[in-house]
Amino acid sequence: MRKLNFFRSFFLAATLITSSVAFTSCDDENDVEPVIENEVRGPYDQEGVFIINEGNWGTPNGSISFLSDSAGHQVQNGIFSNANAGRPLGDVIQDMELYDSLAYIVANNSNKIEVVNAYTFESVGVVENLQLPRHFVALNNEKGYVTETVDYAGSQGRVSVIDLNNYTVTETIEVGMEPEQLLVAGGKLYVANSGDNNVTVINTATDAVESTITVSDAPTELALDRDNNIWVLSAGRITYNDDWTAIDYDQTTAGALSKITPGTQNVQTYTFGSNQSQPGNLTINGNGDKLYFNYDGGTYVQDVSATSLSNTVIIDHSFYGLGVDPDNGYIYGGDSNGFAGEGTVHVYQPDGTKVTEFRAGIGPNGFVFN
Amino acid sequence: MLPGKKLHGLRFMRLLPLPFYLIACFGIKATGYVVLFSFRKFFALAACSFGLAVPAVAQQDSTAHQLRTVEVFGKPAEVYAAGSRVSTVDSSYLSTYASSSLADALQARTPIYFKTYGVSGLSSVAFRGTSATQTAVLWNGLNIAPATLGQTDFSTLPVSGIGEVAVQYGSAAATYGSGAIGGAVLLSSPEYKGKGFGADLQQEAGSFGRYFSSGSLHYSGAKLEVGASAYLRLAENDFTYRDLSRFRTPEVKQEHAAQQLRGFTQDLTYHLSSKTNVALHTWYTYADRELQPAMGSAYNNAKQLDENLRLMTTFGHSSRWGQTDIKAAYFKDYLHYTDNSTNSVADVQTYQLQAEQTYTQGQNWSLRGGINLQHFVAENDGYAGQQDENRASVFALFRYNPVEPLALSLNFRQAFVENYDPLPTPALGFNWKFYNNNRHQLSLKGNVSGSYRVPTLNDRFWIGAGNPNLKPEQGWSYEGGLRHLLVLGNTLLLETEATAYHMFVDDWIQWAPDYTGNWRPTNLQKVRSQGIELSSTATATVGDVKLSGTAGYTYTSSEQVAVYEGTGDKGKQLMYVPLHKATFSTEASYRGWSVLGNLNYTGLRYTSNSETTSLDDFLLLQLALNKKLQIRQNTLILTLRSDNVTNTEYQTMAYRAMPPRGYTFSLRFIIP
Repeated sequence: MRKLNFFRSFFLAATLITSSVAFTSCDDENDVEPVIENEVRGPYDQEGVFIINEGNWGTPNGSISFLSDSAGHQVQNGIFSNANAGRPLGDVIQDMELYDSLAYIVANNSNKIEVVNAYTFESVGVVENLQLPRHFVALNNEKGYVTETVDYAGSQGRVSVIDLNNYTVTETIEVGMEPEQLLVAGGKLYVANSGDNNVTVINTATDAVESTITVSDAPTELALDRDNNIWVLSAGRITYNDDWTAIDYDQTTAGALSKITPGTQNVQTYTFGSNQSQPGNLTINGNGDKLYFNYDGGTYVQDVSATSLSNTVIIDHSFYGLGVDPDNGYIYGGDSNGFAGEGTVHVYQPDGTKVTEFRAGIGPNGFVFN
Repeated sequence: MLPGKKLHGLRFMRLLPLPFYLIACFGIKATGYVVLFSFRKFFALAACSFGLAVPAVAQQDSTAHQLRTVEVFGKPAEVYAAGSRVSTVDSSYLSTYASSSLADALQARTPIYFKTYGVSGLSSVAFRGTSATQTAVLWNGLNIAPATLGQTDFSTLPVSGIGEVAVQYGSAAATYGSGAIGGAVLLSSPEYKGKGFGADLQQEAGSFGRYFSSGSLHYSGAKLEVGASAYLRLAENDFTYRDLSRFRTPEVKQEHAAQQLRGFTQDLTYHLSSKTNVALHTWYTYADRELQPAMGSAYNNAKQLDENLRLMTTFGHSSRWGQTDIKAAYFKDYLHYTDNSTNSVADVQTYQLQAEQTYTQGQNWSLRGGINLQHFVAENDGYAGQQDENRASVFALFRYNPVEPLALSLNFRQAFVENYDPLPTPALGFNWKFYNNNRHQLSLKGNVSGSYRVPTLNDRFWIGAGNPNLKPEQGWSYEGGLRHLLVLGNTLLLETEATAYHMFVDDWIQWAPDYTGNWRPTNLQKVRSQGIELSSTATATVGDVKLSGTAGYTYTSSEQVAVYEGTGDKGKQLMYVPLHKATFSTEASYRGWSVLGNLNYTGLRYTSNSETTSLDDFLLLQLALNKKLQIRQNTLILTLRSDNVTNTEYQTMAYRAMPPRGYTFSLRFIIP
């Protein structure tokens, strides 16, 4: 999730590899202080995974955890609070984006994006007064985009353009209802309108809407593959009966996985077999050739060249959040454990064999690989 | 997170009125290491209290009377509660803090912990480590919790208009029925003594846009006692706090915590003869509130309107068969919650009838038998339709003093609830005054009691969440204690009590999200709560100076000891149950002047099931200065109060800002 596009993954990997080779040991479990300090810019300037912990709705107890790839390390929870004098991160942490030396953390029900130094997690700024922000992507060091639901009372969703020099909103672009993930590819910004059945395409040079591509109901997640095709996972539209006592399966639509070919805007859609389960958690591996998603209580893997939906269950479990390590293909699944306490992160080898599990924060909903 | 899941969450929010949602957050919690309580703080408090008592040497005419009341047959609530602890909240405190809510009063003066959703929000109680639904609230002897929520929001209950507030510690289901697991809060209508007319007017203004007005009138004649009171409380609550969640933690103004509370009471007692009386009590409360969001959470226009009407009529008659009491009551509890995407109404009507017969043989024994019938009609946007329910119970309470220093009580109650089969709840207690000379008295006390609680209507019928197959809670509680009384003539009365208790609750009902993210109630297999309660009260008189002080300390350990399915929460302290709480209060009066001081120490509370996050301990100080002026027979009382004198930054519910130091000035005019 929270995918880095390829340029950025590559760039990051390149910068980080140089610094991460240097250290191999760790000291006490509260502090991952690399041995040679002058070669790193902070405790998180190393290979590992950030875990996004959503927290309880209505309470600013969302958090970020970090697990180093180096052997012998324990997960460190609450790294934002630890680096910022105990300050809570925010309410419903929805997304985190690493760009250059900064991390942008979207706090949905706090209406803000916290900006931190990606190596130390010390706060450097904040974008405030957003309206239910969902996901963020940085175009470059100057400009970023955030999707905003605005409200759940029927308002049109929007994308706000953020000046990353001063963290202010410079422009808002109206898109569809309840916009969710966005990604930048080929000079265009793609926005999944989960309250509708389409994807809005915005020109990143002019910030104007160029077109709207119709997919299936409730498109939510986006992934860019090695051929620069855009994959869209639509959850399907859930309809309840009149008194909201049950789901009306006659009206509920099934989820679908769609492939958009950017040049032609051609859409190839694969519809899921049942409307009783909503697919989710679309993610892609480092090579950009394998898609992963959850459906019907399992984790599926699908080759990007497949011509039908995969029925390969790689893990017989569905997760609250899903991530795939771009370097080694390890699969990370987050379990919310009912939000009453800490969530659990399960780690699997690429073939689905379980490696380990550990406790993170409340409601782990996504992974960002460093 | 997936938006699909978000919508689930959202649907949940749409359907659940806030208080419901809150219960869910009342979870069960987390790792067994003992928090380092500041023992120095506690001992400092204790030392102060004893220090206060020592220099006392003089006259006090009320001591003997007080002693007798405490000693012989106890307060009405204590008659059938031998071996358990019952304490009343000091009346001078209640009159000085008449504008506050019952939550504020009990938080300041008792070991009970209240988790308050900010200054204007819902206040739920944790008594002896149990949850809000496990604390019974009775008004003139009848349980007032609506069957939907099964709990009372103490922030909507005013101190104004209430006569006495007593607290019974520990399980008392045999006496009070379903829900009295952790304890019971007993409220009673005021008694009007003396003859003729009387009136009481109060006007108060304080910091953060707070205003309070109240007035009461009463008349006592040979046959008739009648009283009525009304109050209005307006609070802007626009205090300044440090927003801990925001970049650079700026000082900001609280913007969404305004409240308007009003209500009235009416009490009428008519003595048909010296042996027969009828009474009518009315209690209406109205609360219109903005619900203060957590720091760092967006305000979504959450508002709540509560309207509670309680009517009760009683009939009492004494004959050679003893005292007959019949109470009939009608309660209507209306709750309307709204926010940007929710509009939810819950409307519950409760009909209750209780008849009891009490036979007392001198000071030797007393037997009470009775029946209680309840009928609930609940309409709730969260239910598929109207839900009706009938409940009944029969009870027998027996008090026996075989010899003067020994008091025994044996109680029994059997409840009947449609679709449930509650076990009988017995209670056995004793109080043995084993040492008595003219200065010291020592008593040993103990009791064993069973308790139960039927799942609330929300637990069972909330669409998509309620579980009709929930098991009722069953519990056993054991406690023992020692009480010491020191009397130095009429100058000093020192009462010290130490209690240890141990309680198990099977099938404890907890709201928690299931694997789909929907909040649902489930049974926890076994929860154990155990602890120690210490209290010491001293009253001393030196010339014109009267001093009194009370110190109390509680240690509460509450954790799951057996779980149905493997979870990580076993052996961890329940969230929002402080291990340590201590209170110290003192009052000194000299001629027309009096000073009240109140210290409240609340230890660390975990805020998650995993014992990973917590709220820091805090110490709050309240001070009040009263000046009483006599104007002919009338009394004018001027009061200057300061709450949170030391400007402590604290929270009782995570991230809900609480007010800093504030001042209140009040004028009260009493016509006898």
